[in-house]
Amino acid sequence: MTDGKNCAACGKEFCKGLWRENPILVQVLGMCPTLAVTTKALFGFSMGMATLFVLVSSSLVISSIRKLIPPQVRIATFTVIIATFVTCADYFLKANFYTISKELGPYVPLIVVNCIILGRQEAFAYKNNVLESLTDAVGMGLGFSIVLVILGSIRELLGFGTIFYYEIFGKGFERWVIMALPAGAFITLGFLVGFFNWINKRVKA
Amino acid sequence: MRNAIKMISVLTIVGLISGAALVLVYSYANPLIEKNKKNEMKKAIFRIFPDGKSYTGETVDEVDVFRVKNAEDTFIGYAFLAEGNGYQGVIEMMAGISPDMETVVGLEILDSQETPGLGGEIATDKFTSQFKALKAAPEIAYVKNVKPARPNEIQAITGATISSRAVVTILNETIKKIKGKLK
Amino acid sequence: MPMATTLVLIFVSAAITHNFVLTYFLGICPFIGVSRRIEQAVGMGMATTFVMTLAAMVTWVIYYFILIPFKLPFLQYAAFIIVIASLVQIVEMFLRKTSPQLYRALGIYLPLITTNCAILGLTLFMVLREYSFLESVVFGVGAGCGFTLALIIMSGIREELDCCDIPGPLEGAGITLIIAGLLALAFMGFGGLISK
Repeated sequence: MTDGKNCAACGKEFCKGLWRENPILVQVLGMCPTLAVTTKALFGFSMGMATLFVLVSSSLVISSIRKLIPPQVRIATFTVIIATFVTCADYFLKANFYTISKELGPYVPLIVVNCIILGRQEAFAYKNNVLESLTDAVGMGLGFSIVLVILGSIRELLGFGTIFYYEIFGKGFERWVIMALPAGAFITLGFLVGFFNWINKRVKA
Repeated sequence: MRNAIKMISVLTIVGLISGAALVLVYSYANPLIEKNKKNEMKKAIFRIFPDGKSYTGETVDEVDVFRVKNAEDTFIGYAFLAEGNGYQGVIEMMAGISPDMETVVGLEILDSQETPGLGGEIATDKFTSQFKALKAAPEIAYVKNVKPARPNEIQAITGATISSRAVVTILNETIKKIKGKLK
Repeated sequence: MPMATTLVLIFVSAAITHNFVLTYFLGICPFIGVSRRIEQAVGMGMATTFVMTLAAMVTWVIYYFILIPFKLPFLQYAAFIIVIASLVQIVEMFLRKTSPQLYRALGIYLPLITTNCAILGLTLFMVLREYSFLESVVFGVGAGCGFTLALIIMSGIREELDCCDIPGPLEGAGITLIIAGLLALAFMGFGGLISK
């Protein structure tokens, strides 16, 4: 493989996580944290970063040792490795970002069962080399984080009048409390998915 | 047979390395986490007692109580942790009470899952400032939609009666618990 | 409070007022993926409830008899997920041998249950809230029933929707999420059901 071909392939692997195969908007995976922690943009961002860390580390490790893992125990091995990195991420957050960790609560350990991570290991990291797995992981992780930040920003803006704690609407704004509640999360994400599909259809036409 | 050995050894090695990594992470993180928790409590205590300079902790009947002293080492009151069920989940709070246990000095909500914008307002200064210099005898009470008339009353948040009532109930119960044991 | 009342409260709270799917966002992936037909929903719900209850029991024992006494709380996540995955494996093998029809009916859903955040979430809450063994079992059953309830309602609605005109971009995940939102709103009405 020439260097040029490598770069082009990597670019494609990276971008697919951002748009074409976006884990939330297209694959409809990882819904649980998406809906739960996006009450504010900052929380969505933190969850995205934590997931990105676990995804990238797991993909790195698993694709490096993929030749050594017998297929019959691969899921078990993936799970142990993912759980280890999730525990690291959780304790790191608790130690250094205590307030954010309290807000994210039990949803950080739930990254363990985030189908995105297990899915990427099974579908990609186990079968491809380290560099390609890395780009795949980063792309997917960023695609996930971007949607979390968008969703978090919308809900924070309408629910609290702020984005990343910056006041946008001023004191007179009547807050849409529903945005801070589960119902608002579902409905906003539903429309976001619809909007995404609509853009896709226009682009293809 | 060789396959089975390979499977078991791979799993064991991965398990051992992961275990070792976790032990390392835990020993790094745990002291920091404990420090964070202590800091959070310290901040709450000194927000309730602005003149407070030091405190000692003890446990009375399962309640964590702190004797707060000011810069002249005079005992200025008790701070205590209280928790109980609110509308959506458990509410955790730190409250301050005078040495004679008759007057509430202040209130800080540490953790709550109440509805943001409604029950969640119990964490705002607007609600908690009502607890500064609030009489706790015979017990704290709340009123709705009118200004409190008696020195032991606070006004519940409009649209969040259950959360407000929960705070009052939790405080009353905890004060009752420690009252007899601390004098 | 008498024990029986506590247990009933835990059950009702897990199943209705703090429904796992509509309040805590757990189990969303199967909720969106497996809710097209009512029979599917019932099957998935029953299998999940069964695994949930078993998982609650086993993880409780492991946490309080192994992890805590040996001062290993940080192994919690790894240990719990391994237990859940193994339980699902065992249940699958057990069903295949003892009841082939049940296995065929539930068969495809079982492996999916492992990644169902609701089960791991259940075990994490159980530890956070320091439930006793009996409380954890009731919690597991209640959560499973709540999950099944949400699934059945959703699939009932989606079956009706099959003959409706949905705007193109919203088909599939979009409309399901919006309906879930309306359901969540409705379930909020149960909020003050349990007041002390």
